[in-house]
Amino acid sequence: MIGRDKIVGLLKEVISKSRADSTEAVFTGTDYGLTRYANSYIHQNVADQNSNVAFKVAIDKKIGVAATNIFEKEALARACNDAIEIAERALPLPYFKGFARSAKYKRFNTYFDITADVTPARRAGAVKRICTKAERKGLIASGALSTSASEIAVVNSNGVAVYQPNTSCSINIIISSEDSSGYAQGLHRRFDKIDFSALADKALGKCLAARNPIELEPGKYDVVLEPVAVANLLEWLTFIAFTADPYHEKTSFLSGKRGKRVGVSGLSIYDDGLDTRGIAFPFDFEGVPKKRVFFIRNGLGGGPVHSLLTAAKYKTKTTGHGTPPGWSGGPVPLNVHVAPGKVPLARMMSSVRRGILVTRFHYINGFLDTPKALLTGMTRDGTFLVENGKVISGVKNLRFTESMVRAFGNIQGISKETDLVDTWWSDVGCISAPAMLIKDFNFSGKTEF
Amino acid sequence: MRDQLREIIEYIKRKEIDYADGRYVESKTESITIKDGRLENLARNEGRGVGIRVLHNGCWGFASGSLIGSRDLKRLADKAIGIARASAVTRKAPATLAPVEPFQDAYFSPAEINPFTVPLDEKIDLLMRVDQALHRQPKVKVTESSMDFYRTEKIFCSTEDALIEQTIIESGAGYEATAVENGEAQKRSYPNSHRGDFRCAGYEFIKWLDLPGNAERVADEAAALLSAPPCPVTKADVVITGDQMALQVHESCGHPVELDRVLGTEISLAGGSFMTTDKLGNLKYGSNIVNIVQDATIPYALGSFGYDDEGVKASRTDIIRNGLFVGYLTSRETAKIVNAPPNGAMRADGWHSIPLIRMTNINLEPGNAGLDDLIADTKDGILLSTNKSWSIDDKRLNFQFGVEIAWQIKDGKITTMYKNPVYTGITPEFWNSCDAICSRDHWRIWGLPSCGKGEPMQSAHVAHGTSPARFRDIQVGVSR
Repeated sequence: MIGRDKIVGLLKEVISKSRADSTEAVFTGTDYGLTRYANSYIHQNVADQNSNVAFKVAIDKKIGVAATNIFEKEALARACNDAIEIAERALPLPYFKGFARSAKYKRFNTYFDITADVTPARRAGAVKRICTKAERKGLIASGALSTSASEIAVVNSNGVAVYQPNTSCSINIIISSEDSSGYAQGLHRRFDKIDFSALADKALGKCLAARNPIELEPGKYDVVLEPVAVANLLEWLTFIAFTADPYHEKTSFLSGKRGKRVGVSGLSIYDDGLDTRGIAFPFDFEGVPKKRVFFIRNGLGGGPVHSLLTAAKYKTKTTGHGTPPGWSGGPVPLNVHVAPGKVPLARMMSSVRRGILVTRFHYINGFLDTPKALLTGMTRDGTFLVENGKVISGVKNLRFTESMVRAFGNIQGISKETDLVDTWWSDVGCISAPAMLIKDFNFSGKTEF
Repeated sequence: MRDQLREIIEYIKRKEIDYADGRYVESKTESITIKDGRLENLARNEGRGVGIRVLHNGCWGFASGSLIGSRDLKRLADKAIGIARASAVTRKAPATLAPVEPFQDAYFSPAEINPFTVPLDEKIDLLMRVDQALHRQPKVKVTESSMDFYRTEKIFCSTEDALIEQTIIESGAGYEATAVENGEAQKRSYPNSHRGDFRCAGYEFIKWLDLPGNAERVADEAAALLSAPPCPVTKADVVITGDQMALQVHESCGHPVELDRVLGTEISLAGGSFMTTDKLGNLKYGSNIVNIVQDATIPYALGSFGYDDEGVKASRTDIIRNGLFVGYLTSRETAKIVNAPPNGAMRADGWHSIPLIRMTNINLEPGNAGLDDLIADTKDGILLSTNKSWSIDDKRLNFQFGVEIAWQIKDGKITTMYKNPVYTGITPEFWNSCDAICSRDHWRIWGLPSCGKGEPMQSAHVAHGTSPARFRDIQVGVSR
C-alpha cells in the first residue's frame, strides 16, 4: 500500500504541469494473493503487486488516454504527455462537457487490516481444512481463495482528489464425487467474516445430495434459482441492458420501457454503490459520487447507469458509474442489488410441486437477441429435481435458453435471504441477490453428466 | 534487464529449490474505437514487471511485481519461495518437470510495418471512412470500428540456464454494424465479430484486410436481416463458414485438450473436460476426415511464438488424426503424465500472471472440397456464418452457438436469408457428422485476442486455421 498522501500528492504534481485544457489521473494499485486448489491440493499459489495510472486529458474537446504501471514522477509525466499527444491528434467529441467537479462523498470504511494481513500460509491453512473435510467423505475439493488490498484514487485539474483503500476476500468451493458436484461461495471485505467451514459443508452437502443424478428431458420447468444463479443472469444484464449505450441504442430490453411493466410487481433491481451491505464503494472512476439507479422498480422499467461522457452524449446527468480511462465498454453498474422478497427460501421451496433447483449457471451468453434479453447457459455444480417441496434427486445438467423479459414476468417468489456474489470487479462491487422461484423456465438441451 | 534477471535466478539457485524461472515482460498497447462517427476511445498503455515462479519440494509458488530494482527482485524471489513453502500443507505427489533443452535464443515475430509508427491520423481516417460507409445504410443505427496493436518484449531465464528473448508485434482491426427497427436489432461484422481479426503482424495486415471494401455489404446484410424470417427449428445439414468454424474448434476442441483442465486444475472456473486421459488414443472424436493440429510455428498467426513461457520451443503436434484423439496441449509438468514431450503451450498474459496451458494455433486441417461444390452438393441445408454467441458446458460436451446470419441451401443453391440462427450439439457426435471440409484455397487463420482462462482471469491471444465444413443432421434453432 502506497497511501493517500503519496498517491494524491504525486498525481496532483504531475497534473499541475499538464498543458492540456483539463487532466484527470486514475490510480489503481493492488496487492493480491490467490490460492487455487484442485484434487484436494494447492496447485497454484500466487501473489501480485502492481499499480497503474491512467491519464485522460482534454484539449478542445479532444480526448487522449495513456497509462503506465511505473509509479515514478518521470514515468507519470511521460504518460501524461503521451495522453496529450494522443489528444492533439484525436477528433473532437462535441458532447464532451469536462471532467468531474469536486463533490461531497459518503464516507465509509472499505479497508480492513485483517484481510490485508492474510498471508499465503493462512490462505493455505483455510484451503487445507476444506480439502480435509472433502477427503474425509471420499470426495474431492477444488476452488480458489483470494485476498486483496487495493487503492483507488481519482485526481483531476478541477480539484477532485479522492482516494479509497479497499480489501476483499473471495472463495469458491466445488466438492466433487464421481457423478456429482456441489458449489458454495463467499465474499466479504473482511477475511474473518467468511465462514469457510460452513461453506465447505454446504458444497459438500450439495455434492452428496446430487449423487446418482437422473436425466430429465428439456422443456419448461418451474425453477428455484439460488442467489448465485440469479447473479449469474444479472451479470450479463449489466452489460447488455443496464448501461447507457444499449439503452439508448434500443438494443436493451429496457429501451423505451421506463415506467412500463417489465416484470412482476415484487421485482426491483437497482445499482447502489453506497449500500454497505454490498461491496460498497463511494465514487466512480471519474471521481463522481455513486448514485442509486433503479433498472426495474416494483416491476416497472427504469433507466440505465451513466458516466460523465454518456450523460453528455444523451443529455442527462451522470449516475456515478464511469469506468477507468481506456475502458471502451462505457459505464457499468458494479453494485447490483435485487431487492429481497418476504418469503423465506424454505417456504418458497415448499410451494414447488415439480421443478428444478439450480445452484448456479455456467458459461452464460447474452448476445443471442439482446432486445429480448435472451440468454443461454448450462446448469452446474448442483442441479436437483424438486417434487412437492422436497429435493428428490440430483439431475444431469441442462441447457437453458430463456428470455429474461419472460422470466421476470414469471417470477412466483423472491426469497428474503440474499447472498453477495463475487464478480470479476469484486474490489469495488458485487451482485447482491436473493433466490427466485420462476415458473415455466425454458430448458432447451441436456448434457451427459 | 537481462542481467538483473540472471542475477536473481542465480540468487534463487542458492536457496535449494527444485526449479525456478523468471520472466521480465514489457508491453505496449494502442487501442482505437470509433463509434457512430465519434472517436470514443483512443488509449495507449505501457507496463512492465517481473514474475518469478519457484518449484520447491514439489510445490509451486509465484510472485510478481512492477518494481524491478535489485532489492525488489530479491523480495519477489523470497516471496515466491515462501508461497511455495506455504503450498506444501496440502502436497500430494510432488510436481516434477519433463526435461527440455535450455535454449539461449532470440525470437522476433514477423512485422513489416511497425503499427506504433503509423500516424494516428491515418488509422483514424481509415476507421472513419468505414464508419461513414456503414452509416450510408439508413437502417444501420449503431456502428463500431476498432484497431488494436500490441508490442510485447519478454526475457525468460531459468535455473536450468535457459535465456530467451522474444519480441512479438500483433495487430488487429474490425467493425460491426447494427440495424435497429421496431424493437429488433441485427448485427453484421467484418472481418470477424468480437473486434475483428488479429495476427502476429504489423500494419500491413490492417491494409490487407480492406476494411472499407466490405462496409457496404456488411451494412446491407445487417439491414436485410431485420426483415428476414427467423431460422427454423429443425434438424438440418449445415455448412459452417471458416470464421464460425474457428470458434467451433476453439470451444469444442481447443479447450477440452488443455491437459491442465483435463486433470482438474481449471475446475474452479472454466470446468473440466470430457477428453480424459483414458480416451487418449481411443476416442473417435470426429469422422475420418477430421484432422486437428496445434501449431505455434505458423508465421503471422496470432497463436505463434518462438518459445512458450516455460522455455519450450514452439512446435506442431497432432491433436486429432483421421478422427482419432491423439494429443493434448501440455506443460512440462503435465506432459509427463501422458508420457509425451511437452509441446510448448504454457503461456501467461503478462509478467503478473502465472503460465497456464493455453491454445496456440489450433487448426482444422483443410480437406478437398470446393465451397461452391459443397453448396451444390447440399440438397437441403443451412449455411451458417460469423459468431454471435457461444456457450458450452463445463466438460465441453453440450455446445450452443448463435451466428449472425444464415441462408437456406435448397437443391444446391443458396436461397433465403435467415435471422437469429442457432445450432447446438454434443461435441463428438457433431464432429463425427462432419462429411466435408473445404480445401486449402478456402483455409484461413483467424486470430482471437481474448481467450479467457484461469484465476485470476488471463486473456490469451490464440488462433485457428479453418475452412468451411459440412456437418450432417444438426439441430438448428431452439425450441422456446
